[in-house]
Amino acid sequence: MAVVTNMNTDQALGSDRALKGQRGRGSAGAGDHSGPRRRKALVNYGYWWWALPAIVLVLVVVYVTTASGAFFAFTDWTGIGKFNFVGLANFQKIFSTPALSGALWHTLFLAAGFVIFTNVFGLSFALAVNRMLKTRYLLRVLLFMPVVLSPIAVSYIFAFIFAYKGPLNALLAGVGLSNLQQDWLANPTSAILSVLFVMVWQSIGLVMVVYLAGLASVPIELEEASALDGAGVFSRFRHITLPMIQPSIAIASTLMLVQGLRVFDQIMALTGGGPFGATETLATQIYKQSFTFGRYGFGAALALVLTVIILIFAIGQQLAMRSRDQVGK
Amino acid sequence: MTQQARRFPRHLVAALAAAAGLSVALAGCSGGGTSESSGGAEPQTLTLSYQIANSATSPYSVLAQKYMASHPGVTITTNAINLSTYGQTLTTQLQAGNGPDVFQVQGGSGQVQGAVSLANAGLLAPLTGTNIPATIPDGSAAQFSVDGKQYAMPVELLPTGIIYNDAAAKGVGITLTATSTLEDVYAACATASAAGKSLFALAGSQSPNTGILAQLIAQSQVYEATPDWNQQRADGKVTFANTPGWKSTLQTVVDMNTKGCFQPGAAGAGFDALTNGVGSTSATSFGLFAPLGGASDIMSAVPGLTLVGLPVPAPAGTTTKLINGADDSLAINAKTKSPNLAQDFLNWMAEPEQAAQFASVAGEIPIVGGPGQLSPVFAPITQMITDKQYGPFPAQSWPNGQVYDALGTGVTGLITGQATIDQVLQSMDDAWGA
Repeated sequence: MAVVTNMNTDQALGSDRALKGQRGRGSAGAGDHSGPRRRKALVNYGYWWWALPAIVLVLVVVYVTTASGAFFAFTDWTGIGKFNFVGLANFQKIFSTPALSGALWHTLFLAAGFVIFTNVFGLSFALAVNRMLKTRYLLRVLLFMPVVLSPIAVSYIFAFIFAYKGPLNALLAGVGLSNLQQDWLANPTSAILSVLFVMVWQSIGLVMVVYLAGLASVPIELEEASALDGAGVFSRFRHITLPMIQPSIAIASTLMLVQGLRVFDQIMALTGGGPFGATETLATQIYKQSFTFGRYGFGAALALVLTVIILIFAIGQQLAMRSRDQVGK
Repeated sequence: MTQQARRFPRHLVAALAAAAGLSVALAGCSGGGTSESSGGAEPQTLTLSYQIANSATSPYSVLAQKYMASHPGVTITTNAINLSTYGQTLTTQLQAGNGPDVFQVQGGSGQVQGAVSLANAGLLAPLTGTNIPATIPDGSAAQFSVDGKQYAMPVELLPTGIIYNDAAAKGVGITLTATSTLEDVYAACATASAAGKSLFALAGSQSPNTGILAQLIAQSQVYEATPDWNQQRADGKVTFANTPGWKSTLQTVVDMNTKGCFQPGAAGAGFDALTNGVGSTSATSFGLFAPLGGASDIMSAVPGLTLVGLPVPAPAGTTTKLINGADDSLAINAKTKSPNLAQDFLNWMAEPEQAAQFASVAGEIPIVGGPGQLSPVFAPITQMITDKQYGPFPAQSWPNGQVYDALGTGVTGLITGQATIDQVLQSMDDAWGA
């Protein structure tokens, strides 16, 4: 309780100081009535046209093309020739085709698992290499290293590891666990878990860095004070660390959620969506429908569905994190 | 503030105008053809695009060089595009109006670069050369023509079956020939398993490979008795699910799996399992299912290795039929600036001499002029080719690529136990009307 009181007091003081500072800066020119107005104009309006090339580029390259894609979602375009408007027929087909419903569920499963495991392991590693350890800088580099590797290259290496005659089964045989040997990428359950493992393995380092940045903002004095007050390790983590790294949790979980929902490279390299569609996701289906089968209109509809799903989850998560943050205050 | 507000639109309009101007300029660049415009004779230049899967010499390139040598003043610029991106690259270029003058397409409409799909979209010019009609194999006109006009010219016959390491198989006491039966295959599977090997290597995670296996079996069990089965399916007279031949085809796959015909871990294996298993003098598998021209590529990569081609045998008492269809073909861009030159090039390619040279470089069979001097790879099936005991790729005249994908992934599902035969056949019927 003492810990919480100290923290809230400190936060309150910090906020008060910040407000005073703003007022102070504002009052510096209080005698000159035109000063604040000029400054406001510079900040709010200023040299807006400096950003125009970037804005035009983003509009043309991102938003116009995205809108074009959304437009084709309501057509039967094959990528060549003319097309017809088909209304919502593409969307009706998406939700009435069992294989595509399966792809949706696989997408949600992988995204959920990805968010949970990357955050749990990323935060754990961040806490482990945050302070104290002499080798923490070396460990941070080693843990972050997979992030800089190409996902497709990493996935092909893991495809070799998971192969029936690959190193994993050889290792299992070597340690007397031959009964656990299996065709990892040909079993529907182990195939999707293998994909999830590779995704998580490669992204833990990124999440760890996000949490390390958050942990750097937790004052060591606060933890020491609470330790003197008798708070244990878990209590300090629960009542000091966790509330203070809320922004990092929001960033890491949002990034991982979006990344998990659009997983593509790992699946194409590891399983190609198989066996028998057991690892198909919306992203792999978008690719296959658009570029393998030449059903651009249908692929665009799938892409629109994926975009809406990502938007819903990302906004929902932001709202959840914001409300939690407000409760904390 | 008011003054600034008035200036905003003017700057914005100017900037947007500049951006629009840039777009128009870029559009102008992309709309350029392959040749300079001329008020008189057409340009004597052609661009030729084709797909490649490896670094082997392309027959398209060889024939282009030969045409230039025999036609002074003509320039053909070749553009080899990787197999994995070819369809997308070609259709994007054609749609944008800057496609090559002449390019490789596939027969039918099952692929993005299918000749029928492109012709229906108005992107191909009808072929007029007098030599060209003879290039279409019997019963395959619909794969290269629309409304009686031919739009694509097949360039080779592509025998497809088992690429087989006969010497290694004989080393463990297995002898298979073009007259063997399916029961012989099952017995050979047991012999190979007892020797710690597998008769076949299968890339179970790759639907093109599992799909070829099923097509090879169906060639004897469906299309030998009912050559027009695809037309009957298109007319709605039959379905995959109610055709006994298709059920027995998939049952054969299941039986081959349970009898140990495939290597351990076949269901999750990739294409590397094929070349690693068979493409070695100390092979762990003795055969793989693929276009037989691939045997030459594997042998050139592994000195001392000898491979031959075999059909997939039919059950005893029925006739084994080979797949030997035309697929790779050439087409002319409807917007080419050199239509006469392009037509002349294709007509020249359709001459028996050029067809023989193309097949020789590709390791396949000439599209016209008879089989001629066949590669030793085809020795076991020479009689079948001479007797025309073959048919086209069944999937070539299926209406879309999803049907073939449903077959390929379905075979994987049968091997892993995820799907039943009825489910796979039903999924193919569903895909037919997708």
